[in-house]
Amino acid sequence: MTAAATAISAKAATAPQSGAQLLVQTLDRLGVDVVFGYPGGAIMPVYDALTGANVKHILVRHEQGAAFAADAYARATGKVGVCMATSGPGATNLITGIANAMMDSVPMVCITGNVATHLMGTDAFQEIDILGVTLPLVKHSWVVRDPADVPAVIEEAFHVARSGRPGPVLVDLPKDVQVGMTSDDFGFHYPNEVTPLDHAAIAEAETLIRAAERPLIYIGGGVKIAGAVEALRDFAERTGIPSVSTLNALGSIRTDAPGFLGMLGMHGTKAANEAVQESDLLIVFGARFDDRATGKLNEFAPHAKVVHFDIDPAEIGKLRAVHVPVIGDLKAGIEILTGRMASASLAIDPWIIRSTSNAKRNAFRYDAPGEGVYAPALLNELSKAAGDSFIAACDVGQHQMWVAQHCEFSRPEAHLTSGGLGAMGYGLPAGLGAKLAKPDAHVVTISGDGSFMMNIQELATLRRYGVALKIVLLDNSSLGLVRQWQELFFAENYSEVDLSDNPDFVAVAQAFGIEAFMIDQRDQVADGIARLLAAPGPCLMHVLIDPKENVWPLVPPGKSNGEMMHDTRFEGDM
Amino acid sequence: MTDTIQIQIDRADGSLQRLIGLVERRGFHIDGMSLSDEGAMRRVQLQVRGRDEGRCTENLGRQIDKLIGATRVGFAQSTYGYQSGVAA
Repeated sequence: MTAAATAISAKAATAPQSGAQLLVQTLDRLGVDVVFGYPGGAIMPVYDALTGANVKHILVRHEQGAAFAADAYARATGKVGVCMATSGPGATNLITGIANAMMDSVPMVCITGNVATHLMGTDAFQEIDILGVTLPLVKHSWVVRDPADVPAVIEEAFHVARSGRPGPVLVDLPKDVQVGMTSDDFGFHYPNEVTPLDHAAIAEAETLIRAAERPLIYIGGGVKIAGAVEALRDFAERTGIPSVSTLNALGSIRTDAPGFLGMLGMHGTKAANEAVQESDLLIVFGARFDDRATGKLNEFAPHAKVVHFDIDPAEIGKLRAVHVPVIGDLKAGIEILTGRMASASLAIDPWIIRSTSNAKRNAFRYDAPGEGVYAPALLNELSKAAGDSFIAACDVGQHQMWVAQHCEFSRPEAHLTSGGLGAMGYGLPAGLGAKLAKPDAHVVTISGDGSFMMNIQELATLRRYGVALKIVLLDNSSLGLVRQWQELFFAENYSEVDLSDNPDFVAVAQAFGIEAFMIDQRDQVADGIARLLAAPGPCLMHVLIDPKENVWPLVPPGKSNGEMMHDTRFEGDM
Repeated sequence: MTDTIQIQIDRADGSLQRLIGLVERRGFHIDGMSLSDEGAMRRVQLQVRGRDEGRCTENLGRQIDKLIGATRVGFAQSTYGYQSGVAA
C-alpha cells in the first residue's frame, strides 16, 4: 500500500528545469552519494545533468555490474542502492541484478531511459517495454510521463524500495520526459508506516517457548534488514536458546558465539540440521523457509511447532504452517518477547548441552591430507586475518558454500552473497560496491574461475577508481558445484564443466593494471593472505585448488535434512 | 472449485498486467475475470483456482495486498482446496 504522502515543499516557480535536472536534484536531496551506471542514447539527458552534480557516478563496464554493485552497496550500508542504464539492451542487462535484489529483499532504485513516449510501442530503436519485462522482478515500477512528476515518483520509489520488506523498484524515464521543461518541483515526505504488533500473539509465543523442551531460533535475513541484530543477540543470550542461521543471515549472531550451531540446509552443519530435525519449537525470525534451507519440506522439523516473526504477512504459512504468527517490525517484536522472557528462565539445559556438544563434536576440520591448498582452511584463515572489518563478497558455487561454512563473521553486513537467486558474476561487482561503501573495511571478493569470468570486465572499474578491493580467485579449472553434482547424482557423467583452458588469470589482472599473484601450495597460504590484505590497491590472489574437492556436508536434492552426506576422509573421527 | 477475489486497483502503467502476472506466477489459473472502471480506480473480479493442491488462496490474497496501488476488497472462499496457512 502506498503511504499517505504529504507535500513538504513547493518551490516558487523559478527558471524552468528539465526532467533530467529534477532527477539529479532529487537524488541529491534524498542523500544519494553514489550511482552505478552506464550511459546510452535514451538516457543522455540524465548523463548531461549529472555533470557537476554532488551525486558521484561510477561508470561500470556492463550494466549487470551496475546493478550488482548497487545491490552490494545497499547491503553493506543499509541505504538504498541506485543504478541506471539506457533503454533496450542497457535496461535488459540490469535484469539479473534486479532479480537478485528482489530475491534477497535488497532496497534498490533502478532508473532506465527509454525512447520518447510517442515512440513507445512502435518497436523504435533500442525500445524495450522494460516495465513489462521486469514486472515479476520488482516491488513496484513506474513510467514517468510528465517531467513535473519526476521528483514525486523518485521519492516514492525510494520510499517503496526501503519500507516494509525492502526490494528493488524501477523508474522508466522516456527521453521526452528527461528533456521536457517544468517549473514545478514538489518534494514529498513519506512517513514510516508501522504495523502495530500483536501483543497477544507475542504472549502466545512466550507460552509456546516456555512449554518447549527443545526450542531453536531459526534466523533469517530479515534480522539484518530490520536492524534487529542486537535485539536477537540479547534474546539468544538471555534465554540460552540455541540458534541456526540461513545463508543470508550469517553473522547475525557471531559465528563463534556459544549456542550458535551454524547454517542449516543443503550445505549446513550437521549440528544445525540435526537440531532442526529434533526441535519441538522453531522460533523463526525473518526467514522464508527457502528450499535450500528446508530440504524436503514435509520432513523438515517434523516435531516442531512454529512461531514466525516477519514483516511480510505473505510469508506466514507460505510453505510451512505456523502456530503463532507475529507480523510487524522484527526489532520491536523481539524486544517485547525478550522482555516477557525475563520473568523466569527456561529449563532447557539438557537440550542446550546436547546441541552445542554436537556442534563441537562435528566442528569443521582443516587437517585434510595433502600439500595442495585446502580452500576451506584458506577461507577460515582469511576471515581470521581480516578480523572484524572483514566483508566477504561472494560469487556463486562451491567457494560460496565454503565461505558460508568456514569464514567467521561478526555481523551480517560482513557476508554479501547472492542467496535467493544464486547469480554467478555477483562477486566482483558486489565487492566493488561494498568497498566504495566501506573504504576502511577489508573487503574481499571470493570468486571461482567460472563466476569470475561472468563479470571480469569490472576489473577495469577497480582500476579506474583505484578501489582497493581484494580478490581471492579459487580456481579448480571447472564448474565445481555442477561437477560435484555430476559426480554424485549423474553417475560421473561430466558434461560441459571442464574449464581447464581458462586464461592466465594473473596475466589478465595485470593487463587491467591490477596487482596479481598465484599460489598453489598449502605453505604459501599465510604469506599469500598477508600480501593480499596489505596491498595498497586492488589485488588478486589466484589460488589453484584440487578440482576434485567437494563441498561437505551435503543434503542430496529432494532429501530430508536428516539425510546428510559427509566427507569420508574424516569418517570414523566424527 | 474456484475462489473469487475482488480487487480495487489504480490505473497506472502496467497495473492490470502486474495483478494478472502475480496471480499466474503464484500458481493459479484464472477461470474468470471482469473489469469495471470507477474514475482513477479499476475494480477487478477474478475467479481463481490453484494449479495444484499446495496452492493457498489466502496466501495469494496476501500477495495481492502487497501490490502497490491495489486493495483487496472482497474474498469469497470455496471450501475446495482451501488451506489457511495457519496451523490449527
